[in-house]
Amino acid sequence: MFRRKLIVSLAAWLSCFGTVWAGGGEGHHALPLYAPQLSDFVTNSMVMVWIAVGLIVLFCRAATRKMSLIPAGVQNLAEWAVETLYDFLAGLMGDHLTKRVFWFFGTIFFFILVNNYMGLVPGVGTVGWNTVDANGQRGFIPFMRGGNADINMTAAMAFTFALLWFYWALTENGLKGFLSHIFAPKGNFGALMMVMMVPIFLFVGVLEIISIAIRPVALSFRLFGNIYGGEQTLESLMALIPKALQPFLSWLPAFPFYFVELLVGFVQALVFTLLCAIFLKLICDHGDEAHH
Amino acid sequence: MITLLAAQAAGDAGIVETIQKTFGLNAPFFIAQVINFFLVIFVLKKFAFGPIQTILEQRRARIAEGEEKLKRIEKQLAESEQTTSAAIAKANEDAVRLINEAKQGAAAFSEQKAQEAISQAQQILAKAEAAAKADRDRLSSELKREFGRLVATTTAQVTGKVLSNDDQKRINDEALAKIEG
Repeated sequence: MFRRKLIVSLAAWLSCFGTVWAGGGEGHHALPLYAPQLSDFVTNSMVMVWIAVGLIVLFCRAATRKMSLIPAGVQNLAEWAVETLYDFLAGLMGDHLTKRVFWFFGTIFFFILVNNYMGLVPGVGTVGWNTVDANGQRGFIPFMRGGNADINMTAAMAFTFALLWFYWALTENGLKGFLSHIFAPKGNFGALMMVMMVPIFLFVGVLEIISIAIRPVALSFRLFGNIYGGEQTLESLMALIPKALQPFLSWLPAFPFYFVELLVGFVQALVFTLLCAIFLKLICDHGDEAHH
Repeated sequence: MITLLAAQAAGDAGIVETIQKTFGLNAPFFIAQVINFFLVIFVLKKFAFGPIQTILEQRRARIAEGEEKLKRIEKQLAESEQTTSAAIAKANEDAVRLINEAKQGAAAFSEQKAQEAISQAQQILAKAEAAAKADRDRLSSELKREFGRLVATTTAQVTGKVLSNDDQKRINDEALAKIEG
């Protein structure tokens, strides 16, 4: 118990000390909206993503190296996580669709979750170096930045989903089914009513296409905004402490919000996954029913 | 991205540029992150979801197989219990029949032996009676003979006569007739 308290306190202290150490006691630096470049081809968020990939690889290897029918240890945890998510998605999308697309949704959820939590690790966003640009403007570049606090990462996931969404929708419904799903009148109408409804549903179809086009943008910015906002909040709260006390006490105002961010990290991973699942379910509804 | 492209197509390049500059959205980093994301997909699919789902499927199959086996064993057990109870019932019936047969056999045997014993006893009794009768007849004739001799001797001594065989026979017969009469 004491050791756990000690680790938490140390981590919190390190998180604020890092800022001052890296910034040379300059105090608060606002987190930029974009992920700063560490070199021509590498941003600090990419470094985090690579670390996340590495951790995921290590965990997977540990969980699946010696698999047995009677699970124990890490395998048990991995199986529980995968099975829980699978059952949850199967309840939403049905068994057929979940079996087909779980590799993507599982990746989305766990990848976002790991990245979100890694962004909370003390030192991420606070340990870096000071810069001075040509105009004499002082700046600060952290070595690492939460993967999802970079719009390129969230957009990469959202637009990958958008492409896969088209592929799955077409393969599940066929081109005719896909188009009729968007444009065809829904409901039972008489002949005259049907003629009247056709232009309305055509217009609804156009709106649907606009909605489909906006979805990946909305997904990208929702996740980015929440994670960036959380990191910015933590940094701003640390800056509330007077400069003289910052090395020792700047963790204090941010500390309660770390728990909120733990919740936000999970909720945002779930929201992204859920929205993707719902979008897919909506378009594949016919296909799924026909299959059953 | 489509919105951005649409906006760009509409000639509203300012907004796109602003978004790109503000958020640092640019093609090389976007593509790099897509590659990173696909790397994660590959890793998770190959090393996590694949093996885990396979083992979950194996476990499900094994549980289903176990359930099937359990049902089969229960059925076999029920059949076995039925067969056993039928065999026990048959064995009981046979046992009862055998006991009854044994009892009947024992009773018949006992009766037979009793009859034999009675018969033997009767034979022994008859033999004993015959032997006793023969002894009595023999003793009676010896006694008669001795008595006749005594009577004849006594008569001869009393009368002083020598008795002939006819006299002796007559005296003996008379004396015996008096005793028996």
